[in-house]
Amino acid sequence: MSATILVLEYAVIYTVGSLLASMLSLSKRAGVKQSAAFYASLAVLAVSLGFTLLNIAIYLIEPKPSFTNLFHEDLLSYFFAITVQLVSLFVVLSSRNYMWDDRNLSVYFSLLLFSTLGMVLLAFAADLLMIIVAWELMSIPTYVLAGLRKDNPFSNEASIKYFLLGAFSSGILLYAISLTYGLTGTTNLPAVLQALQASATRLDPLTILALALFIAGFGFKMSVVPFHMWIPDAYEGAPTTISTFLSAGTKKAGFVVAIRVFVVALPFLSTNWTTAFAILALATMTLGNVAALTQRSLTRMLAYSSIAQAGYILIGFAVATEPAKTLALIGVLFHVFNHAVMQSSAFLAVAAVDRTIGRASLDSFASLWRRMPITSFALAVSLLALAGIPPLNGFWSKLVLFTAAIQGDMAWLALAGVLNSALSLGYYAWVIKRMYIDEPTGSMGQGRIKEPAVISAVLLAATAIIIVLGIYPSLIYDLAKAAVLALG
Amino acid sequence: MLDVPILSLLIFIPIVGSVLVYLLGRLRERLCELASLVITIVVFALSLYMYGLLFASKEGASFSFVEGPFNWLGGFGVDYYLGVDGLSASLILISSILSVLVVLGSWDLITEKKPIYYFLILLFEGSIIGVFCSLNLILFYVFWEIVLIPMFFFIGVWGGPRRKYAAMKFLIFTYVGSVVMLLGFILIYLFTTPNTFNIPELVGKIPFWVQLLASAATFAGFGVKLPVVPLHTWLPDAHVEAPAPISVFLAGLLLKMGGYGFIRVNLGILADVSRQYAWVFISFGILTMFYGALVAMVQRDLKRMIALTSINHMGFVLLGSFAGISASTTQGAVYGISGAIFQMFNHAAAIGILFMLSGYIHEQAGTRNIDELKSLRIGMPKTALVLILGSLAGMSVPIYSSFLSEWMVILGAISVNSWYAITVLIPLLTVAYFLWMIKRTVLSQLPERIHYHDLRNRAMIGLLLYLVPLFLLLILPSLILGVVDPLSLLLYQGAGGGK
Repeated sequence: MSATILVLEYAVIYTVGSLLASMLSLSKRAGVKQSAAFYASLAVLAVSLGFTLLNIAIYLIEPKPSFTNLFHEDLLSYFFAITVQLVSLFVVLSSRNYMWDDRNLSVYFSLLLFSTLGMVLLAFAADLLMIIVAWELMSIPTYVLAGLRKDNPFSNEASIKYFLLGAFSSGILLYAISLTYGLTGTTNLPAVLQALQASATRLDPLTILALALFIAGFGFKMSVVPFHMWIPDAYEGAPTTISTFLSAGTKKAGFVVAIRVFVVALPFLSTNWTTAFAILALATMTLGNVAALTQRSLTRMLAYSSIAQAGYILIGFAVATEPAKTLALIGVLFHVFNHAVMQSSAFLAVAAVDRTIGRASLDSFASLWRRMPITSFALAVSLLALAGIPPLNGFWSKLVLFTAAIQGDMAWLALAGVLNSALSLGYYAWVIKRMYIDEPTGSMGQGRIKEPAVISAVLLAATAIIIVLGIYPSLIYDLAKAAVLALG
Repeated sequence: MLDVPILSLLIFIPIVGSVLVYLLGRLRERLCELASLVITIVVFALSLYMYGLLFASKEGASFSFVEGPFNWLGGFGVDYYLGVDGLSASLILISSILSVLVVLGSWDLITEKKPIYYFLILLFEGSIIGVFCSLNLILFYVFWEIVLIPMFFFIGVWGGPRRKYAAMKFLIFTYVGSVVMLLGFILIYLFTTPNTFNIPELVGKIPFWVQLLASAATFAGFGVKLPVVPLHTWLPDAHVEAPAPISVFLAGLLLKMGGYGFIRVNLGILADVSRQYAWVFISFGILTMFYGALVAMVQRDLKRMIALTSINHMGFVLLGSFAGISASTTQGAVYGISGAIFQMFNHAAAIGILFMLSGYIHEQAGTRNIDELKSLRIGMPKTALVLILGSLAGMSVPIYSSFLSEWMVILGAISVNSWYAITVLIPLLTVAYFLWMIKRTVLSQLPERIHYHDLRNRAMIGLLLYLVPLFLLLILPSLILGVVDPLSLLLYQGAGGGK
């Protein structure tokens, strides 16, 4: 199947579904209104995920990467398409409990779907212009989603901050793209590669400037220090499901384009960008972990933890040249998938607490296991996985990343990563201690609370993925390896 | 030998059983206690059978019951690969023995949240057996880390007043040590041709500089667990706060992971560095022994004193293994390494009875303060008897096999360098503080008569069971040494000794 037709099919599924969701919700009866939007979005994601899995199956039987001017279809695209759609599915399902009383539910769901479409398009994009279009399709709905709670000043602040910095980063990205066009005369990534291969301009200061601007532009979404300022505020102010979406979903889209642009299209500049990524990786994980240690709100702690995890992924970029290229990229993909699952699980557990007890400050987690056993269990497992305790999935991807770092002659980065992991256990374990060991504080009741059913189901599913991948990591490792080897 | 994957059974019967026990416990609490006892006894029987076969085959030096290597993570050297030699087999045997005794001891001492408690006990047993029989460094690391989780909750949930602090301290210390150790493993993997994590394939293949770096890295992991002074500070806190049965696990098994690691990894595959720089490890060993003994002497809390005894005793393991590897004579090497392994076995049983007893004393007398426990011989005659019998094991007097192992280690050390004879002072110090403790608690007089509750008969039997292996092995030390000596010889020769 031609890649363009494939992408068109995604676009049709999402657009039709999203419009349908909005139309159905015009109904006057309140119950129908909300359910319609919810089930329509669910149907879209189910169909689209099924479609993706089917295509992967076809692709694996007959591996034929197909390229057009705008899109390419390969295992890397599918890998990310699966990852981001899985996160969207988690988020949509959890919204059944978390967002149900919101007045703008149909808007919420249709924006969520459009943003997901943007991420899927990014996974397939092969042209810088297509990348910027998909990037905006992914980002703009999330600006609105972050500020969906109009009467909540924190939500407004989050939205404004996120929007301003987001628009700024898009501008930077566009500038980088226009520089690239000026240097090479094309925006098509394979053509950019060829043009740079042929010409002597590749070490031109302008090229370096374009490279730096690309790093800054993508770094904004990937939550790379020093472009991370918006993250804690946005995650804290936005509805928690949207924070999940941002940190487990849209952030991952930054990594796929980074692979496409840096590793595949700009390998000639690798001496420049590997050094940059090595420094950024060190700064990102260290700052993320140190800042997370001092947080009083679990949402903010998870936001900083999410920054730190991006730092581990950047280790992979720092050594994504020979001889460690294959292992490094496998590590990147593997950790992207794992982080999507772990982070979704952790954030949605916080959403469940937020929904039932209110205030996701650390105090409300004291002795949580008595009141919300499923949520506590899922949160504990996901935090241990984030810390990299075996046999959970996060351990394996970190192992691959650190091994790649040593193989790529950046043992200091592996040492920094290992010490950061140890540091991160400090706050992860502290939350677990709070939930399982500490006595309840103040007026907090001891009785069991009815846990939100759908969120609990999502949490159990995510926990199952974390544990199964921990025991049998080859499931994703092999897919990631195939995807990387297909890149060439 | 057999088609049954006996080692996998030893690991997964407890791990799968743990879920079962938890579910039964939700039904009725008594059921989970009984089910855990049944499962631990089954595992004990199985490990005894395994040990018996190994003993009969006299193949203590090579790996038996090998399973694998089965590919676990494609093309990355991570394999599911199990096997036992004399070292693993004896440690697995003592693990399964202690698990039975710990379950029995917990019946009296643990009253809260039983289903989760027994779930964690069995999870701990399964994963520690996994540590002792993994032949792949990553598999070893996986089990090594799983052990942390139950222990964190044991201390944190069922512990004493400062349990939160102790649990966090334990977790952070051991985790930092472990991840640094993991870096060492990755180094070994990357710089050995062919790239592999499998221990048997790594023997003699690792370049010297990699061995040097890896030894430094693994020292962090094993040293924290053993523990080596100055990486020991988590241990007294963890022990004091942990409930008594868990202290038995902590001192009896968790510390053995450190000793096992030193012998399996440092002596086994980092042999050149171990032989050349043995004096570094030996110095740490001697420092650990003296520190443990001297600090134990001034303790007021009975349990803290026992915890420091355990630091003192584990120093023998470090001393013995590295004295053995650097010995100039084969005899000295076998004395040292076998002594170290034998010491681990004996220490597990000896420290087990002492910790368990401290738990009973605390429960019955309401205090563990040595100065407040007066005249136990009148107030608690049975307890006093067991305390004396247990202390004799701690003092390594020649009615127990712990005497033999310490004697072997000291003999091995002296054969390396006569200065190491200074370590004969250690048993002296140990005897001194134990006798002083007994003088203050058992033999002291009280102005008025106080009646404590004494030990129940069942508890007393449970405690005396710890002494059975110690008696038995004094008479028949070859039961352990028979499988261990060939291994010591192999390790010594592998390091280039005896030529």
